[in-house]
Amino acid sequence: MAGEASDRKPFISKKIDKFFKGLADAWNFVKRFWQEVFLPPYEFKEVIHQCYRIGVESLPLISLTGFIVGIVFTNQSRPSLSEFGATSWLPSLISIAVVRAMGPLVTALIAAGKVGSSIGAEIGSMKVTEQIDAMEVSATNPFKFLVVTRVIATTFMIPILVMYTDFVALIGSFLNVNANELVSLSTFFVQVFESVSFLDIWSSVLKSLLFGFTIGIVGCYKGYNSSKGTEGVGRAANSAVVISMFLIFIEELLALQIVNAIRGM
Amino acid sequence: MRGENKRSVIVGIFVFLGIAILVTGVLTLGGQQKKFVKSIGLKAVFDDIGGLQTGNNIWFSGVKIGTVRKINFYGDSQVEIEMNVEEAVAEFIRKDSKATISSDGLIGNKIIVIYGGTTLAPPVEDGDRLEAVMPLDTDKMMETLQENNQNLVEITNDLKLLTGKLAQGEGIVGAVMTDSTLAENFRSILTNLDRASRTSNQMLAGLNDFTSKINQEGNLFNDLATDQQIAKDLRATLESFKTSAENTEVLTQKLTEISEKLNDKDNTLGLLLNDPEFAQTLKNTLENTDSATYNLNRGMEALEYTWPFRKGFKRKAKAEAKEAEGN
Repeated sequence: MAGEASDRKPFISKKIDKFFKGLADAWNFVKRFWQEVFLPPYEFKEVIHQCYRIGVESLPLISLTGFIVGIVFTNQSRPSLSEFGATSWLPSLISIAVVRAMGPLVTALIAAGKVGSSIGAEIGSMKVTEQIDAMEVSATNPFKFLVVTRVIATTFMIPILVMYTDFVALIGSFLNVNANELVSLSTFFVQVFESVSFLDIWSSVLKSLLFGFTIGIVGCYKGYNSSKGTEGVGRAANSAVVISMFLIFIEELLALQIVNAIRGM
Repeated sequence: MRGENKRSVIVGIFVFLGIAILVTGVLTLGGQQKKFVKSIGLKAVFDDIGGLQTGNNIWFSGVKIGTVRKINFYGDSQVEIEMNVEEAVAEFIRKDSKATISSDGLIGNKIIVIYGGTTLAPPVEDGDRLEAVMPLDTDKMMETLQENNQNLVEITNDLKLLTGKLAQGEGIVGAVMTDSTLAENFRSILTNLDRASRTSNQMLAGLNDFTSKINQEGNLFNDLATDQQIAKDLRATLESFKTSAENTEVLTQKLTEISEKLNDKDNTLGLLLNDPEFAQTLKNTLENTDSATYNLNRGMEALEYTWPFRKGFKRKAKAEAKEAEGN
């Protein structure tokens, strides 16, 4: 009896204990992912299926968003540059903004909203309807089939989507610049690549991989650990989006510091 | 099964296009930043690089030919810049070329500009160090500008004072501007000046005409100026003149000597010219000679009538008379 009483007694406080327990669970979840990802059997078909859902099906939304971002950002930057008579710098400014930050960030945020919530809700509903338990009973590894495939898909599809977003955003920017400054396509892209470095491109790709992994792992974790019926499913979907976005911004901040440190070397 | 296959193909195309965008971007970037072009390394040491960064462009004759590879501290406080320059362009950059830090536009990125160099020097090679020329210091420019501003303020103050005085009619200019009589006088002065300038113009035209005539072929002055033979002749004549003058000088000296001797009494002419006693003696002698000649004439006349010379004189008279008749 005394042991049960001590188990119920919080270590620090109930909320703080819950927070750190959540962190430990998340850590174990990530650790399990890395343990499972390299071990057979490999669910290639499911990975392709998830790639289709996460990558191809997100393309229209991501492209439209990237296009609008390109136009809006160009339009909003013009007045500030025209004050210095430097509107010819618009392509350089847009390329730096899109390749370094806007492309990965916008894509990751849109994907977190669309894909992260979808993964959280899907796995959460499977959890509360005990489909995951049923898979375990039928000798299928639900973690490998549901989590590993989705995390791999998000990790590799987000960088591809970022490439599309960058391209479409620059096209949108070009249309705006061309309409206002009468700059040709070749001149525009020469100026675009003049300001961008290899470090920008590779950091963008690596950042996107990290963002994709974050979206996938958070969505899966929240779905996999959901409870309390349909309410828990909604909460899992919601928290998957919120936590993914929060982590994406934190990662963006850290990546910025690291890239700037490398740039200064 | 067919649906799964179709989905796989679409994912494959999707991934392929995404990677194609990435690869195209990387290749374009590499091509534009000359990353895949064979390059050589050049160096330059500056006192101050003014914010130049690794990756900034290198320009030569307005063309981008490379990028800044590395920036190191050198010596006490100098900075050594290592540059990557296209190998194909190296043959146009000479060892005596100079490197300076400039700016890509008014507010653009810092760049290194390579300029100068002569064909006398060989082309640069890998590892060569170019002479660095320090760019204009912006702070110093601002200092000068500030000084100019202060001067401008002083000038405008003086101008304000001056225009105030002018408006009040002080000073000559102010008086001219406010006093109508003075202005009228000034106008007449200007009219005179205008007339004088016209006259001078005419004079200059005449002078111009005169000089053009002088310059015409066949004119003496033109010949003097242009004909070498005339110049030679003139020079020979001047030589002759010179010789004559020298001779004349010698002659004059001799005449001077003669005249000096004439003033002396130690010679016959000097004695004649200068000794009055001798002159009196000579005069007396001449008078005596004259008197003797007179007496001789009278003796000769007496001889005509004296025997035995009378016959001879008669014969002579007859012969003269005959000769006169014959003529």
